[in-house]
Amino acid sequence: MQRDRMENCTLESGWDARLELAYARREACTIPVHRRHIGPLRVQKHFTEPSGVCQHIVVHPPGGIAGGDSLTLELDLAAGSRALLTSPGAAKWYQGFGRRATQRVSARIGAGASLEWLPLETILFNGADVELAARFDLARDAVLLYSDVVCLGRPASAEPFAHGCWRQTVEVWRDDALLWCEHNALKGDDAQFSSPVGMDGHTVTGLLLWAGPALPEALLDACRAYPCVGRAGVSQLPDVFVARCLTHSAEAAQAWITGLWQQLRPFTLGVEAVAPRIWAT
Amino acid sequence: MNLAALQLLRLASPSLPIGGYSYSQGLESALELGLVRDSRSAQAWIAGVLSGPLARFEAALLVRVWCSLNADDTSTLVALNARLLASRDGSEMRAETEQMGYSLRTLLAALPEGQGRWPAVLAGGPVALPVAWAVAAFQLELDAAQAVESFLWGWMENQVMVLMKAMPMGQTSGQQLLSALLPDIAQAVQIALTLADEDISNFAPMLAWVAAQHETQYSRLFRS
Repeated sequence: MQRDRMENCTLESGWDARLELAYARREACTIPVHRRHIGPLRVQKHFTEPSGVCQHIVVHPPGGIAGGDSLTLELDLAAGSRALLTSPGAAKWYQGFGRRATQRVSARIGAGASLEWLPLETILFNGADVELAARFDLARDAVLLYSDVVCLGRPASAEPFAHGCWRQTVEVWRDDALLWCEHNALKGDDAQFSSPVGMDGHTVTGLLLWAGPALPEALLDACRAYPCVGRAGVSQLPDVFVARCLTHSAEAAQAWITGLWQQLRPFTLGVEAVAPRIWAT
Repeated sequence: MNLAALQLLRLASPSLPIGGYSYSQGLESALELGLVRDSRSAQAWIAGVLSGPLARFEAALLVRVWCSLNADDTSTLVALNARLLASRDGSEMRAETEQMGYSLRTLLAALPEGQGRWPAVLAGGPVALPVAWAVAAFQLELDAAQAVESFLWGWMENQVMVLMKAMPMGQTSGQQLLSALLPDIAQAVQIALTLADEDISNFAPMLAWVAAQHETQYSRLFRS
């Protein structure tokens, strides 16, 4: 059900969408055990990898998020379950006409469980006023692989992100202790977009996090060496591995993140990377 | 001159023995990569850090730490320390804040002004430098503005000293750079004192990238 949100978004109140998903392990496979949605946020039928990992594609049929909209996604992974979530395409956040749009993702990951949160890119249209919040609560030895690509404006259409506001927080907790966080609050005209320590004129930023056992030195070196069309760097912190890139295209950032994910997966999950088929379309 | 003014000078002095001289916070790497190559690019770099993650995160949280000490709000104090530690974007930055926090704590314990007054809730585990700094300022009877002023001044003077050692930059040029950057400190102090919670931001991806490059830099004088 596609609608042209650019046409009518000032005429309607915001559109709230909420999706709850829960996963549990049944022998070698993880299956969805709870699925509840309110408003336009759904999942497609799951796909089970040979490894037993449950792949799920979260879809937002309106095709874009307008000012006043809110998206809420709550995930619950039971002990020992393994799920990979992605999206079928870019999330487009439109000009907000003075209204803020929000997305809240929260995930509880039980002991021994793993979540791979690998959505495709987020595009912030000029004038979007956006608040994105993600919080992951890991229990004991749970693990998380998180990726995030944000494109500012639409440079291909000569539309820079000159107005609006981009707020984003990511928090990773383990047993109620904060392991890693990033807080981002930049208005469209913020000097950090051009600052040599900020975006330095890049329009796309990518982030990949791994919360789990520290990477062995050889794997860390392989990640450092993995090529990126842009600036890319990695660091192993006490509790989290952080990989970050700055590019001028979503494709370059996604390619780097997917490449790193493929390098990491035999270590992080003990299985080969099986790229979700939707990525190839 | 009152005692507080003298304590302010002392806390802001580069001879404060907490090891600041051994860290460049990515600046050495920015020099190696050619991102900083002269006074002008050095000024843009330092001002970018100052008006970005330093004012809007570390200094803004430092103010909140001082307020939590003043209000005897131990749960906020503990949460702020955890957030400052969790916000470090690279292993060297994380090690730096922990080492300097530890050294400042050790120093305070040896001073009559600080003896026996370290917050019990911060007794175990690492302490981020801005937290230790706020505790020091509080115990030296400095207010929140003075706590931030001394923190940012100490940071900036250290950055300029990195340039003198690694660029290299002459002493007069270093002082000229300080003159150019002083208004940025005043502005950063205002930001830190007045920033709303929702505007807190530690996002500085190029700084993180440069700091990550430093981990494998072949020849280096500094530990970050």
